[in-house]
Amino acid sequence: MHIESTRFGTIELSDDAVLEFRDGLIGLPGKRWALIAQSDDTPFYWLHSVDDPSLALPVTSPWLFFPDYEARVADDDAAALELDGPEEASIFCVVRAASRLEDFTVNLLAPVVIHAAKRLGRQVINEAGGYSVRAPLFAEVELQQVEPASPGVPVAAWAG
Amino acid sequence: MLVITRKAGERICLGDEITITVMEISGSSVRIGIDAPSDVPIYRHEIWESIKEENRAAAQANVQRLPTPRGRSHDTSST
Repeated sequence: MHIESTRFGTIELSDDAVLEFRDGLIGLPGKRWALIAQSDDTPFYWLHSVDDPSLALPVTSPWLFFPDYEARVADDDAAALELDGPEEASIFCVVRAASRLEDFTVNLLAPVVIHAAKRLGRQVINEAGGYSVRAPLFAEVELQQVEPASPGVPVAAWAG
Repeated sequence: MLVITRKAGERICLGDEITITVMEISGSSVRIGIDAPSDVPIYRHEIWESIKEENRAAAQANVQRLPTPRGRSHDTSST
């Protein structure tokens, strides 16, 4: 299958790259999303709607930027994701991009949790307290220090 | 919308499984106790709204390409 992305053009997707978000993303329409990589050395992905070709959010692995980040998933969220243990969960945080690096922020309060084997995703509220929805992304590390993400989730390549 | 008046110590039932108790009223603040099954998510409204706002703002970012650390790939961009 493919997405005719208004942002990126045609993106080919294998079926195993399509993730089902049964409760959607908070405040956004659509229940099917896929991770898109723009290159293989980037710390960022796009979480792209499969149903709405104009809808995509930048995401990243929070540990690339905040090595001490903690994510605690509530029991009911874990059950909704059919997770049997933390090793099955891949965790991403939504990035609010800006024209200047120092204005990038990341939502550490509501991570996106993906159970890759089941192709299920869910945005949850982190039970580990004290995190912001708008944390400065480059507060602890500089861009040059950030390693590429290794998603643990099927990712569609976009060659644009 | 239903609007009702309650005093401290009084309760409201939502169906069989959810009970809301007005625990304490102090100035402009009200302390509320909620008894609900563990699978009923309960959030402060402003937290839910702030997540909505961040998701929508993230989706509207006018950005085509996200920054990549220079050095691993060729230095083609200064941002």
